[in-house]
Amino acid sequence: MFGTVNNYLSGVLHSAQDCDGESLGTHLSLRDVHVQNHNLYIAQPEKLVDRFLKPPLDEVVSAHMKVLYHLAQEPPGYMEAYTQQAAACGAVVRLLQQLKDENWCLPLMYRVCLDLRYLAQACEKHCRGFTPGHVLEKAADCMMACFRVCAADGRASEEDTKRLGMMNLVNQLFKIYFRINKLHLCKPLIRAIDNCVFKDSFPLPEQITYKYFVGRRAMFDSNYQAAVQDLSYAFSNCPDRFASNKRLILIYLVPVKMLLGYLPSKSLLQRYDLLLFHDLALALKAGNVNRFDEIVRDQELVLIRSGIYLLVEKLKFIVYRNLFKKVFAIRQTHQLDMGDFLSALQFVGLTDVSLDETHCIVANLIYEGKIKGYISHAHNKLVVSKQNPFPSMSS
Amino acid sequence: MAQVRGSCERFCPDGEAKMRIREKLLHYFELKNGQKNTPGVLVKEFTRSAADAKMPLPQEMRTEAALTKTVEYLLKEQELFSIILDTRKPFNLAYDFIFDRLRAVRREIVIQMYDARQKIRLLEPIVMFLAYSRYRLCEESIEKFDPKICNQHLQECLTGVLCCYDELEGQASSKEPTIRELERRCYIESLYQVFNLGSPESFARALTLPDFVRQDSIFKLCFAICLAFQQRNLYRVLMGFPQLPHILCSVAATKLQAIRRSLLQVFTHAYNNKQLTVPVPYLLRLLLIDSPAGLQDQCRHYNISFTGDRKAVQFNKTDFNQTAELLKTQHERFVESKLKRIYLPEVLLLKKLN
Repeated sequence: MFGTVNNYLSGVLHSAQDCDGESLGTHLSLRDVHVQNHNLYIAQPEKLVDRFLKPPLDEVVSAHMKVLYHLAQEPPGYMEAYTQQAAACGAVVRLLQQLKDENWCLPLMYRVCLDLRYLAQACEKHCRGFTPGHVLEKAADCMMACFRVCAADGRASEEDTKRLGMMNLVNQLFKIYFRINKLHLCKPLIRAIDNCVFKDSFPLPEQITYKYFVGRRAMFDSNYQAAVQDLSYAFSNCPDRFASNKRLILIYLVPVKMLLGYLPSKSLLQRYDLLLFHDLALALKAGNVNRFDEIVRDQELVLIRSGIYLLVEKLKFIVYRNLFKKVFAIRQTHQLDMGDFLSALQFVGLTDVSLDETHCIVANLIYEGKIKGYISHAHNKLVVSKQNPFPSMSS
Repeated sequence: MAQVRGSCERFCPDGEAKMRIREKLLHYFELKNGQKNTPGVLVKEFTRSAADAKMPLPQEMRTEAALTKTVEYLLKEQELFSIILDTRKPFNLAYDFIFDRLRAVRREIVIQMYDARQKIRLLEPIVMFLAYSRYRLCEESIEKFDPKICNQHLQECLTGVLCCYDELEGQASSKEPTIRELERRCYIESLYQVFNLGSPESFARALTLPDFVRQDSIFKLCFAICLAFQQRNLYRVLMGFPQLPHILCSVAATKLQAIRRSLLQVFTHAYNNKQLTVPVPYLLRLLLIDSPAGLQDQCRHYNISFTGDRKAVQFNKTDFNQTAELLKTQHERFVESKLKRIYLPEVLLLKKLN
């Protein structure tokens, strides 16, 4: 079923002559069937390739064939393959620069950059001898070179500008920066997209990915309103058939919304296998500090891996608020003894809490507007407002 | 690029020593017994890499052993002589000298492209020295000590060491670290956490560290403090500080003024009532302030009023001066008492960690 090298190379040539970026991308993809064609595993394919293709496309193709060669070795030469893929990426940059006022080759760029990231991840996983994250960071540098060419293409018309490729690259870069915990590097990319005149005309799938990452970043910066907006956009626009992606979005959207006072419905969580949040919500509602801590402790690894550990820990103050609201409901008075709050904290299992700390916790809730009232230190009482002493969290 | 290796076995290469003696460019701590014009022990100065400067020759750079000895010389007590413990001159002069000479060491680490293990050995004491100095000199005027520059260098050295730890971990083949090495790492990782209190990045790092670090008792304490800070439970943060060992405690002290300000601001809302007051002893305890005078300084600065008898404070949220700059970091009694009990060279060289 596989052809000779010549068949393959003339296929590449035709795609290039037809300015068919998709087809060219497929010819250079590591996920296409042609990668199983043993005829293409050539250590030094330059001479052959030169007969068909002009620079810099010949370099892209040669590098690609070398990648295939190295990956076919036993054990696979991931590091060598990565180096060749980076060379391919560099050649793509030159190709982009050469093709002024044309953007048909963007799919090729997407493909090469995507495979570069996959290979970098494979190196991180299988190879040793460098700081973790180093290869991914290098890959990001290569993609940035592509990004710069695209972002600088301001003179071409709206249909032909390479700026249309920006969001795809930004999403790729986000994936790397989130993986290596270098979120500050996202900022200039977001600015570039924000300043882009046709930022709303990028394809919807790209927009969804973009909003997902921008939302996560906003969450990281404690900018929760913005995070909810972006993540909600991603969630509601993501088609239902991509259930696992929708689940990924919810992992962040649910706790951020909880922090803003919205509890998720059980049916939604059930549908996406996220009942962990249901347990948290129950503990939150009940003001059960101990139960809350227990869930966090049990699910620690899951929370850390999905990057929401800190966010969930920040929900703690709402647990306190709900517990204190219960004290208010039981006492039915506007002058509440601070000792009662302390007893309540001890009742839900906090053994090491003091009256001083109780004061500080209540004080902070007042400061954040979660309780309306003031503390009288002399009488050791919290005096709550006659109207709406525990304002709704979501208001 | 080919690796360059130093061959100089002394603290200061001969060429530089001759030149500086000839030109009388000796620092006070390089003179014999402080006598004018009598050279004592010279240590290589820091010079910037400049475009026109040639690549240093091997004899202009020190060997790994010489670099280790240099770091030790700068931070240790020799027979009858110690720069770090010198009392003839104010500490900021010793700081300037040691800072510069350690910077030269750092530069050679970069030029000679040392591996992770070598870098860690040299950088760890530098981190400790910068962290200690940051606190020790915090009350000095800006002409004598620039806390910002010190912070920058500390952060740079810290992240440098952390990268090396990560790198070593990535090498399965490298030989097992010793228990002492692991303990030192736990201490430096803790220092990074306290120094970056409140930063989501450093917190994210804490969550993904190997188990031996996360289970370390000092690290656990630092982690608990950082978590409490993120949860805005400043009470737990402040109560945690005095439990930290020496240098960590002094790094924590540099964060104290900001936390006191936040807590006072919270209190102005919570105890906001014209008829009611909050007793001084309660505030002293919560804010880790050891004298009523200290509390008065804080209150004056943020425009919080005392009662007539000065035994209580009256909070009013509208009076609180939001725009007032943070008070300068100051020496704290709970830190001073810890630092008094330590033998500094031993601590800076990470021989005694708690």
